Amino acid sequence: MSEEVTAPLSGKVWKILVKEGDQVQYEDELMILEAMKMENPIYAPVDGKVAAIKVAEGDQVEPDQVLIIIE
Amino acid sequence: MRPYFETMPGFGKELKENRITRTQESRAKLEAVEAEIAALRKARQEVGIPAAEINKRGSMTVWQRIEYLVDKDSFLPLHSLYNPEENEEGTTNVVDGLGKIGGRWAVIIGFDNKVLAGAWIPGQPDNILRVTNIAKRLHIPLVWLVQCSGVKMTDQEKFYADRRGSGTCFYRHAELEQMGIPVLAGIYGTNPAGGGYQSISPTILLAHKDANMAVGGVGIVSGMSPKGGFDEAGLEELIAKTRDMRVKPPGSVETHYDATGFFTRVFEEETQVLDGIKEYMRMIPAYDPKFFQVAAPKEPQLAANDLYHLLPTNQKEAYVFDEILARLVDGSEHMEFRPDYGPEIYTGLVKIDGMLIGAIGNRQGLLPRGYPEYADYPGIGGKLYRQGLIKMNEFVTLCGRDRVPIIWFQDTSGIDVGDVAERAELLGLGQSLIYSIQQTDLPMMLVVLRKGSAAAHYVMGGPTANRHNAFTLGTAATEIYVMHGETAAVATFARRAVKDKDAGKPLKPIADKMNEMAKKYYDTSRPAYCAQHGFVDEIVNLKALRAYLKGFAGAVYQNPSSICPRHQMLTPRIIRG
Repeated sequence: MSEEVTAPLSGKVWKILVKEGDQVQYEDELMILEAMKMENPIYAPVDGKVAAIKVAEGDQVEPDQVLIIIE
Repeated sequence: MRPYFETMPGFGKELKENRITRTQESRAKLEAVEAEIAALRKARQEVGIPAAEINKRGSMTVWQRIEYLVDKDSFLPLHSLYNPEENEEGTTNVVDGLGKIGGRWAVIIGFDNKVLAGAWIPGQPDNILRVTNIAKRLHIPLVWLVQCSGVKMTDQEKFYADRRGSGTCFYRHAELEQMGIPVLAGIYGTNPAGGGYQSISPTILLAHKDANMAVGGVGIVSGMSPKGGFDEAGLEELIAKTRDMRVKPPGSVETHYDATGFFTRVFEEETQVLDGIKEYMRMIPAYDPKFFQVAAPKEPQLAANDLYHLLPTNQKEAYVFDEILARLVDGSEHMEFRPDYGPEIYTGLVKIDGMLIGAIGNRQGLLPRGYPEYADYPGIGGKLYRQGLIKMNEFVTLCGRDRVPIIWFQDTSGIDVGDVAERAELLGLGQSLIYSIQQTDLPMMLVVLRKGSAAAHYVMGGPTANRHNAFTLGTAATEIYVMHGETAAVATFARRAVKDKDAGKPLKPIADKMNEMAKKYYDTSRPAYCAQHGFVDEIVNLKALRAYLKGFAGAVYQNPSSICPRHQMLTPRIIRG
């Protein structure tokens, strides 16, 4: 079963804090999204393994765009 | 009300390992600023004649007097770096803070007898105004350690006169006494003129045997008849008079204990004066803390050390305010008020040392979709929107009704702006919050965790916008300004840039000016600057914050002028529903 982590609003991917294959826990910080002039942590919604990272640092993302998939 | 308060719902979570790792650099920056503040504080303590020299003369320094006077580890310094007029002495020449004397809280202030024998100097009246206001707001005794040589003559135009000048503390002492707040004075050394009024205006005067106090000292008596200038003959006369006055300084113990009886008591040893203050403090009305404790005091479940990993120095980085609060309050427990409304603001009841306190703070980061509800743009934490402003108004009003003192935690970039925000009534709601605060007549304190900016710095319990703020603390991450320097530079130079562009002029000079302005904003908003200029009353290490919160809670509940029985409180019932 996989869980998609999506962008809550448009912004720029500032830092990615995990890599594919990493084990993460609920509320671990996955990446920092720069939006509204602030650097906002994006948290893991569930425990699991980072199956795929769909964006790169510096990418502009839109609301609901998939950022990371956690299995 | 034990079911409400004994064990409140817990909040906050253990720090994640990846956050600790990721925030090492931020922690190092916070600790570097704290070290810089500590060094400035130490330098401030060492100005003037060395302590050893004062001791050799048979006197204690003001620092030694305070240390002897207060209960161990209870002194919470305030205004350590305050020097708004940038005096060459590096000080306002008074030392103050909150401290416990014989188990009771007092506001303590003393002249620094190492510097100009404790003279009045620029900036000092504002320092004293702050201190008398703290005693008034917290309704606790004011303790003076007087040793004041009077006016620093060469600078008198900067502080002698004026509505907020040096003489105003004397009527403020009368004002405190009018409110039933005693002013105790330990009096040392020579106290002419201003020093005489510093000595006579308190409620109880406890003097060292060598102390004196007088309307005027030797300098004033000798020079009281101006003759239009000076010449050698006049100086001979002056020298003779001065010699005579040196052997008979006016207002000694013989005069003011034996003859007038103004001195309540006189002591042989300096320490005995301080013992006398302790004795009088024990006579002052004070509730046992248990009277107001709604639960047994307990330390937070989560470590204060975590604060260094939770409060980012990077002003752009979001964080979870609730996690910070959980490390400051008893048991990491709270009762949150309206959690589903106004998500950019935290409001809730917490306990500090077992006593009930209202806490209000800015939440950071992304807000739920569709918020603010009046706009088609997303909201962001740190800003104030309609619901958050309404929620704060409601909570403040309820705390006023229930007599629950409030601690504010600011990290705000301002109130939402634009025509949509105006239609949503934010201007009116901001002012309504000031009105709500004013109506409470509650003691409050403020911690500017990081950013204090724009009108939000005023309305969220800021010292500028109400007289209920007893004192304001800053941290190593604090910055205070009307707006960010780059925003201010854009507001100032944007139109001129357009004009110059249209006129074919080079743009670099404007860019340089904008950079200069942004740098000035940065330099004048640093923690040390904020402390020096009184934007905050003290910069406090994150680890020491809770001690100040405990000091505030202990002081406000020591002898409150108004109380609400806990079983008649509404706020906890409204929270529980």
